[in-house]
Amino acid sequence: MFPAHFDYVRPATVEEAVKLLAKHGDDAKLLTGGHSLIPAMKLRLARPQVVVDIGRIANLSYIRETGGAIAIGAMTTHADIEASKTLRDKSPLLAETASHIGDAQVRNKGTIGGSLVHADPAADYPASILALDAEIDVVGPRGKRTIKAVDFFVDLLQSAVAADEIVTEIRVPATAKTVAYVKTEQKASGFALAGAAVVIGPGGVRVGITGVAATAYRAAGVEKALAGQTSLTPDLIARASAQAAAGVDALGDIHASPEFRAHLAQVNTRRAIEKALTRA
Amino acid sequence: MRRRRWPVADPNTTPYVGRAMKRIEDPRLIRGEGTYTDDLRLPGMVHAAILRSPHAHARIRKIDTTAAKAIPGVVAVLTGADVNASCGLVPCAAAIPDLKAPKHTVLAGDRVYFVGHAVAVAVASDPYIARDAIEAIDVDYDPLPVVTNAEDAVKIGSPLTHPDLGSNVAYTHNVSGGGNIDEAFRKADRIVKHRLYHQRLTPMPIEPRGVVASYHTGEGTLTLWTATQIPHLIRTLLPGMIGVPENKMRIVAPEVGGGFGAKLNVYPEEALIAHLAMRLHTPVKWIESRRDNAAATIHGRDQVGEYEVAVKNDGTILGLKSKTIADLGSYLQLLTPAVPTLTGLVLTGCYTIPAVKMEIVGVYTNKMATDAYRGAGRPEATYLIERLMDVVAQELKIDRLDLRLKHFPAPGDFPFPTSCGLVYDSGNYAAALTKAKQLANWDQLLKDRAAARAAGKLSGIGVSTYVEICAMGPSKAMPAGGWEWGCVRMEISAKVTVITGVSPHGQGQETTFAQIVADRVGVPIEDVVILHGDTSVAHYGRDTYGSRGTAVGGTAIVMCIDKMIAKAKTLAAHLFETTSDHVVFENGRFTSPGVTNRVITWPELAGEFYVAKNLPPGLEPGLEASSFFEPQNFTFPFGTHICAVDLDRDTGHVKITKYVAVDDCGPQINPLIVEGQVQGGIAHSIGQVLFEQTIYNEDGQLVTGEFMDYAIPRAHDIPDYILGSTVTPSPINPLGVKGVGEAGTIGATPAIANAVMDALEPLGITHMNLPMTPEKVWQAIKTKT
Amino acid sequence: MKLTLSSTVPADPSRVFAALTDPEVLRRTIPGCETLTATGPDAYEATLKIGVAGLKGTYTGKAAITDQRPPERLTLSFEGKGGPGFVRGSAAITLTADGDATRVDCAADVHVGGLIAAIGSRLVDAAARKLADDFFRQIGSALP
Repeated sequence: MFPAHFDYVRPATVEEAVKLLAKHGDDAKLLTGGHSLIPAMKLRLARPQVVVDIGRIANLSYIRETGGAIAIGAMTTHADIEASKTLRDKSPLLAETASHIGDAQVRNKGTIGGSLVHADPAADYPASILALDAEIDVVGPRGKRTIKAVDFFVDLLQSAVAADEIVTEIRVPATAKTVAYVKTEQKASGFALAGAAVVIGPGGVRVGITGVAATAYRAAGVEKALAGQTSLTPDLIARASAQAAAGVDALGDIHASPEFRAHLAQVNTRRAIEKALTRA
Repeated sequence: MRRRRWPVADPNTTPYVGRAMKRIEDPRLIRGEGTYTDDLRLPGMVHAAILRSPHAHARIRKIDTTAAKAIPGVVAVLTGADVNASCGLVPCAAAIPDLKAPKHTVLAGDRVYFVGHAVAVAVASDPYIARDAIEAIDVDYDPLPVVTNAEDAVKIGSPLTHPDLGSNVAYTHNVSGGGNIDEAFRKADRIVKHRLYHQRLTPMPIEPRGVVASYHTGEGTLTLWTATQIPHLIRTLLPGMIGVPENKMRIVAPEVGGGFGAKLNVYPEEALIAHLAMRLHTPVKWIESRRDNAAATIHGRDQVGEYEVAVKNDGTILGLKSKTIADLGSYLQLLTPAVPTLTGLVLTGCYTIPAVKMEIVGVYTNKMATDAYRGAGRPEATYLIERLMDVVAQELKIDRLDLRLKHFPAPGDFPFPTSCGLVYDSGNYAAALTKAKQLANWDQLLKDRAAARAAGKLSGIGVSTYVEICAMGPSKAMPAGGWEWGCVRMEISAKVTVITGVSPHGQGQETTFAQIVADRVGVPIEDVVILHGDTSVAHYGRDTYGSRGTAVGGTAIVMCIDKMIAKAKTLAAHLFETTSDHVVFENGRFTSPGVTNRVITWPELAGEFYVAKNLPPGLEPGLEASSFFEPQNFTFPFGTHICAVDLDRDTGHVKITKYVAVDDCGPQINPLIVEGQVQGGIAHSIGQVLFEQTIYNEDGQLVTGEFMDYAIPRAHDIPDYILGSTVTPSPINPLGVKGVGEAGTIGATPAIANAVMDALEPLGITHMNLPMTPEKVWQAIKTKT
Repeated sequence: MKLTLSSTVPADPSRVFAALTDPEVLRRTIPGCETLTATGPDAYEATLKIGVAGLKGTYTGKAAITDQRPPERLTLSFEGKGGPGFVRGSAAITLTADGDATRVDCAADVHVGGLIAAIGSRLVDAAARKLADDFFRQIGSALP
C-alpha cells in the first residue's frame, strides 16, 4: 500500500491554501483528517501531484454560539463534535450523528469539513446537515460564499465546493431536543446502508437520508405528509415514513439491494421520528 | 449479562499449572516491541512488489517490462519465463488417490487462473518504486471463459478452469463406515433431507504475509524470515523448490500476527523471494498488502452439500448419507484437497450413527485456493450434523436435546469407535450439555422465548453439541509426521531454556509451556525461557496447526523434563553417595531421606554438571534432554454451546442476547488463555453466521478485497459470553490435555445458526444459507408475513 | 454488470447518429477523453481519464462501432486498461425520434476487473451511470 509520488505542502493560512489550489488546480488535493484521501492514495485510486495539508491552519477548529446558530470550524474533528457540550445542549443532532461515524480512531482524526466535501453517498453527516438546514461557508479565489445544505451535495462524491475552494465553517441552527439520527450500518465499512436524521421543530419535521442514493437527500414526501400536523400519531408517522425513499433511485451493491436500502430508509425514518419524540 | 473478571494469579505462587496467568508474550506485543517480518531491516535490502492478474481466467499474449525496467531505482523486473524454472512447483502434501493436479508455478506461465494470480515481480530500492514498476508492466491478456461456482463447474459444458486437465473435478472421495447404509435407509420410517451451504471465508489475519530472504553467497546459506505457522515444514519443502539443501537453510517465523490456518502453507512468494535473494545477491523483502492478502492468501470453507438422514419415528438415527461439493479454487495449496476429507472424519459428530456414506467431490474454479482455515473441515462437519439434528427433531416433533442425548455415547463407551473410522479418546457429552443448560438458565430461557413469541417477537434459542479432532496427530494419519520435538536445558546458572518444535503465533505457549516447566522442574517461572520458530534454534518440529501445540508439543517437553530429572538424580545420588532410587526430587530440591540430611538444589547441581569435576563414571557433562513425542491417536475435545437471539422484524438484524459455551479441552494449563481462545473462536463464528462472506462476481472478480467490503466481526458485534468448562482428561498424553484453538469456532457456528432458524421457525422458515445477513432474514420474513 | 439508461438529446436521430460516429465529436464529449484517434473505419484508440471526483484513473484502450443501422441503432464495443484495472464491454444504443428530440436508449454489458472491481463495488455502478449521463448531456450540447 504505497502511494504514487506526490509533493507535500503545508500552508499556514486559508489564504495561502487558496493560492496553492489556484496554482496547482486539478493536480492538488486538500488533506485534513486523511481518512478518505490517504486510503485512496495508498490504493493509487487517487494520485494527486500535490497534497496540500491544511491540518495545521490555526483557528479552523472550534464550536461556538453565534446568534441563534452554532458555528463549527471546518477542521473540527468528529470526536470534538461528538463531545461538544454546546452542541449537545443547543443542537444535539450533529453530536449524535458524529458518534455513529467509524470508530474512535477515525473520529479522532476525521474532520467535518473534510467529510462533507468528500460527499460520500453513505457518510453520516449529510443526513443531519440536510435535516438541520445547515449553512456551509467556503473561501476561494473569488472570496467567500455561503452554500445552503440543500445545494451542497451535488452528485456522487461531488459537493458544491469548487476544486479551488476551501470549506471554513459550518453553521447549524439551535434546535429543540426532538432530533434523532438512526442508522443501519454496512457491516464491513461502518458506513450507512441507510441513515435517517430527523429534526422536529415548530416549523415542522425535516428529514435527511443518507446511504440510499448517489447523494444524501431531503425526504420531501415524509416532510410533506407531516406538514401542519399537530399530533404525530404512530399511524401517521408510519404512513409518512413510507415516503422516505419515494422517487429515489436507490443504490444496490453486495451489501444491500436497492429494495432493502429503500426499506431501511423507511424503517429508520420512522424510528428516528419516534426516537426524537421521546426526547420532547 | 454478567461479565466474568479473571482473578489473575500471583506469578510468585506455585503450582503455576491450572492458574489464570497473564501471558508472558503480551507486554512486548502491547508496547509495540515485538519483531514482525516487516520490522526487519537488513543492509542492502531491496523491496519486491508483485503484479497480479486482474482477470479470473486469461491467456497471456505478451508481457512488456521495458518501461518498468527503465524506472530509476528498479533492480529487476521478472516474469514466469525468467524465474519458474528456478523455483520449482508449489507443493501439495495431501495424498488423495487419483487426484488431478495442475502444475503450480510461482509466477503464472502463459495463463492466469484467478484474480490475484501472480504474473510478474519487480524489485527496487524502495517499496514505492517497486509499486511504480509493477504499474509500468504492460500485460496483454486474452480473456477466457470463467467458472466461479463449484456446482456449475461439475456440469457438462462448463468452462474448464484448467483445460489441460479435461475436467473441473479434482477428485471424488468416498467415506463409508459402520453398517450397511442401504439397509439403514430401507429400515427407516422417514428420510429427512436438507441442503447446507458453507460460504467461502477470507481468514484476514491482521498481519498479512511477508517474507525477507537473505542469501550468503560464500557459505551458500539461505535465511528466510516469513510470517508463517510452519517454519519446519517450509524447511522440509523449500529445498526441493529452490535447490538449497535443508542443512543450509534457516527458516525463521518472527512474531506472527495471526494465522488461523492461512499461514499453514508453503506459498509461491516464499520460494520466489528466496530465489530473488540468491539471484540478486542482496536481501529482498516482500510484504503483502491487505488487498493481495484477500486475493492471494488461502480462503476457507466453500462447501455445499445435500444430506439425508434415515430415522425411525422415535428419533433413532439409522444412517446418514451426504454428497458434498467442495470448491478448491484454481490451485492446490499445501492441504487444499485434504480439508474437505476432514469433514468426512467427524461427520457423525458426537452421536452414535450406525451407518454413514459420504461422497466428497473436490472441484476447480477460477478463484483463490481454499485450504485449512480455523477448524479446517470440522466446522463444516459440525455445522451440518448440528443443523441436521435440529431439522430431524423439528420434523419428528421431538425435543432437540432429547434427540441429542439419545445418541450420545455414554462415558463408559470410551474409547468410542465411530462409523467414520475414528476412535474418540474420552468424553462425557451429557455432562457438558447439563452444565451449559445450568449456566444458560435453560428453563428460564425457554420461558423468556415463549413470552417473547407471545408478544409477537421473533426469538430463538440454538444449541450445538460438538466434538472435534485436535492434537494432530498420529504420524500414520498425517502427510509428513505428526510427532513433535522438544528440548529442555538446565543452564549452568540454573536458568531453564526450553526449545519447542511448535511455532506459536498467538496461542500463548511461551506462557503455558513455562507454567508446565516451572512446576515440573521446580524453578520460578521467570527463570524459564521458551524458544521457538527458528529452525536454527529448534532443529526439528512439525509446527502449529490443528490445536496440536500443547497436547503434542507440550508432551515432548514433559518427556524432556523426565529425562533431565532422571539424569539429575544420577548426579545427586553420586553426591549423596547413594543410588538414584534413593533420591527424592520435589519442588526443585533433591533429597535422600534416610541416607543424608543434605539438600541439593538446582544451582548447585547445574554447576556440578557443567564444571564437570565430580561426575560419576559414565555420566556425560551438561544437563539437557530432547525428545520426540509420537501421539497414538488424536484427541477429541467436545462441548455444548447455547445461543439466544432476538430478530428485528423490520431490519432483519440478529441480536445475540445470551451466549453460553461449555468446552471440555481436558485439564486447563491456563484458563485465561483457554478462555481467550474460545472467545476468539466464537467471534469467528459470529462473523461467519451473520455477515462474513468472500464474494466473487460472475466474472470471477473478487469484490470483497478490502475491509471496506469484507466484514469481520468488531468489538461491538461481540456479546458478553458466559463461559464454563468440564474436565475430561485425554488418555493420549500425560498432560491429559486435548487442545482448544479451534473449539470456539467449531461449536459456535451451528449454535448461532440454529438460534436464528429457531427464531424463524414459527414463520415456517426452515432453510437459509450462511451468512444469515439482515437482508436475507428480512426477505425471508417478508415472504412469510 | 448490466446497465440500462435513457437520455433525451435535443436533435433529430440522424444528427445524433452522426455525432455518435464522429471522432471529433466523441473526443469532445466522452468524459475525460484526452486523445481519440481513428485506427480504421469505425475503430478508435483512446486515452481516457475517468472516475469520480478525486478518484480518477487513466485508461488506454480501443473502441469499435458495429451493427450500424443509421439512424436507428449501433453497437459500441470497448476495452480499456489502466492502473486501477480494466473495463470492457459493449453497449447497444437505440435512437428513437421523440418530437424534435431523440430518445437514446443504451443497454450496456460492462465488465470491470482489478482494483475497481475489488474495492469499488459500492461506487462502480453509480459512477458508470453518471459518466454515461454526462456523455449524453455533452452530446446534446456539442451538436453542431
